[in-house]
Amino acid sequence: MALWSESTNRRRSHDRSRRLRLGILGAVAISLFIPLVARLWYLQILKETEFIERVEDNTTETIIERAPRGRILDVNGRILVNNRQSIVVTIDKEEMSTVRSSDLDDLFFDLAREISVSGKLTKVAQIEAAYESERYGPFAKVPVVVDITKELQVYLAEFSYKWPGVGTTVITVRDYPYGTLAAHLLGYVGSLSEDEIAQVENAEKTYLSNDEIGKAGIELFYENALRGTPGRKTVVVDKFNNILDTIEEVPARAGSDVQLTIDIDYQALAEKYLKDGLDIARQQPTKFEEEGVVIFNAPAGAMVVMNPQDGSVLALASYPTYDPELFVSGISQDEFDNLIDPGNSLPLLNRTIQGTYPPGSTFKPFTAYAALDTGLIGSRGILGVTSLYLDEGVFTIPTCEGGTCEFQNAGALPNGEVDLRLALTYSSDVYFYNLATHFDILPGFDLESPQKAARYFGFGTPSGITLANENGGRIPTPDSRREAYRQNPDAFLTDKWLTGDTLNTSIGQGDVLATPLQIANAYAALVNGGTLFAPNLGLRTLDPVTGESEVEFQSRITRELYLPDAFTQPINEGLAGVTTWRRSDNGQEGTAYTAFLNFPHEEWPVSGKTGTSEKQSTGQLIADYGLFVGWGPNPDPEYVVVVVLEEAGFGGAVAAPVVRRYFEQIAYGIVPRYLSRAEADEVARQQANQSQESSSDLEAISETTTMTSGVSYE
Amino acid sequence: MSNIGWQRRRTSLNPSGSPISPWLHIDLALILSCLALGITGIFMVYSATRGSDPTLYDRSYMSRHTLFVVVGGLSMLVAAAIPYRRLRDLVPILFWGSSLLLLLVLTPLGVERNGTRAWFEFGQFQLQPSEFCKVAFIFALASYLERFNGNLGQKEILNALFLTAVPLGLILLETDVGSALVFVAITMGMLLVAGAQTRHIFFMTLSGIVGIVVIWSTGLLQDYQRDRLTSFLDPASSQTEAAYQQTQAQIAIGSGGLRGQGFGEGQQTRGEFVPEQHTDFLFSVVGEELGFIGAIVILGLFGIIIWRCWRTAKKAADLLGSLICVGVLTMVVFQMFQSVGMTLGIMPITGIPLPFVSYGGSSSLSSFVAVGLVLNVHMRRYEVVR
Repeated sequence: MALWSESTNRRRSHDRSRRLRLGILGAVAISLFIPLVARLWYLQILKETEFIERVEDNTTETIIERAPRGRILDVNGRILVNNRQSIVVTIDKEEMSTVRSSDLDDLFFDLAREISVSGKLTKVAQIEAAYESERYGPFAKVPVVVDITKELQVYLAEFSYKWPGVGTTVITVRDYPYGTLAAHLLGYVGSLSEDEIAQVENAEKTYLSNDEIGKAGIELFYENALRGTPGRKTVVVDKFNNILDTIEEVPARAGSDVQLTIDIDYQALAEKYLKDGLDIARQQPTKFEEEGVVIFNAPAGAMVVMNPQDGSVLALASYPTYDPELFVSGISQDEFDNLIDPGNSLPLLNRTIQGTYPPGSTFKPFTAYAALDTGLIGSRGILGVTSLYLDEGVFTIPTCEGGTCEFQNAGALPNGEVDLRLALTYSSDVYFYNLATHFDILPGFDLESPQKAARYFGFGTPSGITLANENGGRIPTPDSRREAYRQNPDAFLTDKWLTGDTLNTSIGQGDVLATPLQIANAYAALVNGGTLFAPNLGLRTLDPVTGESEVEFQSRITRELYLPDAFTQPINEGLAGVTTWRRSDNGQEGTAYTAFLNFPHEEWPVSGKTGTSEKQSTGQLIADYGLFVGWGPNPDPEYVVVVVLEEAGFGGAVAAPVVRRYFEQIAYGIVPRYLSRAEADEVARQQANQSQESSSDLEAISETTTMTSGVSYE
Repeated sequence: MSNIGWQRRRTSLNPSGSPISPWLHIDLALILSCLALGITGIFMVYSATRGSDPTLYDRSYMSRHTLFVVVGGLSMLVAAAIPYRRLRDLVPILFWGSSLLLLLVLTPLGVERNGTRAWFEFGQFQLQPSEFCKVAFIFALASYLERFNGNLGQKEILNALFLTAVPLGLILLETDVGSALVFVAITMGMLLVAGAQTRHIFFMTLSGIVGIVVIWSTGLLQDYQRDRLTSFLDPASSQTEAAYQQTQAQIAIGSGGLRGQGFGEGQQTRGEFVPEQHTDFLFSVVGEELGFIGAIVILGLFGIIIWRCWRTAKKAADLLGSLICVGVLTMVVFQMFQSVGMTLGIMPITGIPLPFVSYGGSSSLSSFVAVGLVLNVHMRRYEVVR
């Protein structure tokens, strides 16, 4: 302070003062370097690694390129499921987050109108539902409408200022050249669910969060083969995401094609005849009985065609069916609810492997096998193979301890004197009641013999077909009865297994449940000499580029059965009689004799077994389920066919004709070629051209026997 | 010391061979430091602007900047050549002339960039009058303060502040906060050395703080300006462009490590992640590509410049020379600290280029001319005043 005040020697004082002030300035200047150097040290020496990582985050990007999914082909290489490009309208959630909800409503309305005008009918609610789907994060561009036209895409891009947040993108979706055909077995794909994301976390073929995955059918079962391997490209980018360099590139690889054992023509024919069979069954007049009114609703059914020689499946038809296209455009909750509504007969249910039915009389050959195998029919048993037993239409359990004691044939009709062969041909319940009773009461015999035989032939456990979610059916036993009673005491009179239960089981009634596929598979083993297969739907996988075989799927044998000629001979004879036997004296005939009247038995011998089963139901009376199993040509059959028609009546009357019509086409070699939509369009176009040339050709067109998905069959 | 020695040094520039001839006292260290920075700047600007396509590197910025450095170097020599005491006669013209330009830049003649209206445009070149005004202002303030020979009363201080207020006000109207702060720093530094009393300095500092608080709390600043000034405190929490810029700059510098990624090898620079990396944020390129060592060398060169200015201020023949040096010193120190500090995340973002290094004609020219004045004072430190 003293230095700055007035002094006598001003000049010197000022000089000293200036030096000091310069000193201060210099000190300040130098001191400013300290924080800079310290900060540089901190950033560049102490934190170097962290920042290097952040530069890498900034400048390298991994681009995942989706790989196309493999196609699904039929046994002849015709494409059942393909890929196609679809233009999708998207809405940017991030951009929309700032928009008022009333404006959003207006936008949705305008968008729905615009898309509808372009030719794809679209509801506002549909856009709203898609937009609000929980599946997408807050920054996602949500796909709201698929399959718009190219023109609309151009329009939306051109007038983008009118459509804030609305964009389009091209995605690859599944394409179904044959429409709804084989929908159940092919299945469908959909976006990964939360659960599936966890499942595929370590999958070899990486999944992204909005990737598609097989949800059902072949798409699900062969997911690993069908899924493409995504490509991966690591690139250096600048701030604007321009790619500067490529560091690493792994190209995407398309998924393998999967070829099925299914023959699309046989599949189409099965679906057609199954539906026809139900339509015909529905035309039966309503029955008025003492217990109530029986209406033949015939709402649903299933049909299985397999080759008993190798366990491959040729056709799996389930009715009602659904349109897999629904899943392509992002199925709405309502639509999905319809597919799983019992009131609509559960269209999504694949009845061939998921529907369980009391097999009814189709079960009898396996009870016969139990009797032969245990010796109940035989020298130490109660009857010889050819011993006659008098079927008076009614059977009374000799040692009845309660419950029902009197059992009868359908309609209590007597079949007269029958041996094992005729018991099968006529489907005599009483004959089998007699066997069942003796399993139960005769010392040295096991009352569970019919169940054991049934399990031996694959009942009660999933067949192992190459489809997911197969139902294993049910074979009841005293133990299972106790357990069922414990869980639901109201459903049963007692927890005890009564002789009557064995009787019911022996004719495939009571608690016995089986899927149509299980029935087909059991018969396949019976008629092929005793090989029980795990049915195959997959033939092989193919390289998508070269078309060469990658993996050939071999027949899978579950077990070789003990099936000596002594057993098969009477059973097979009895079952051959089902379609051919008629006694000229009294007119007694096999249960499917009428259905197979005038069938070319000589050239193409067919056997079969009818079944008519009562569905246990509470409350109103429902019509019987009609079943038929047929196979041919004997003696080395290539086709085993099972038909189940729900609430349709007698198997011999409703189900057997379906198989007869089917076998007729095969026997005469006239299974028509089924046309894809594109082929059908082409045919229709040609026909239109021809009809322009000459109107007289019109008649010729109506006689065309090609079957198409769009055009009616005959 | 005999005369013979001197006579051998007769040259065209010093025909008389006088020991006090200015050309004998050129400050080579100062010149070389400035040129070293200028040349480094050319390389850094190239790295920052060449783009990402190796087959089509953009050399236009580099060529233009090379021109600026060359012209700047020549201007430095011109500014050193004319004795500064004679130059003083031109000061009113230079100062009021450049102030007029500051006024004109506010009219539609000027162009706006990043919210600041501070440029005239001539074809592909831009002129930023505030840069030239800085030098004119230093000279003007020095020649005013010199008169009082270290005795600054209240009246003199107020006059000096009025002198500052003219360009400062105009620059604030351009909303060029960074340049305005440079004027404040220069004024403070020069007043300190010119002999302002402690209580005046104290009072000015206090009113400065009050002024900042008032400006901050009344709505004089736009939101984005506030963001730019505060985001450095916590860049992670801020979503603004300013915070992004500062974060990216630090990533670039930090990833340089000790030795740097090498010239042209900086991925962050190549990807142009740091906005304005060729001008105000050029130091991020230095940090990434030249590393800690390179950054220290650059700072060291600034240290040399500052030391030489300080030394010249001390040895100047008169108060005018001394004050010129102080003004230039404050200008360079403040700009360097501000520009480097903001890339390092320890200073708020105010658009100030790094002197001698950053791309920009006006900035280069004014920096070199300012140093030219210091050279001028240095060369004539033995001349007897009047």
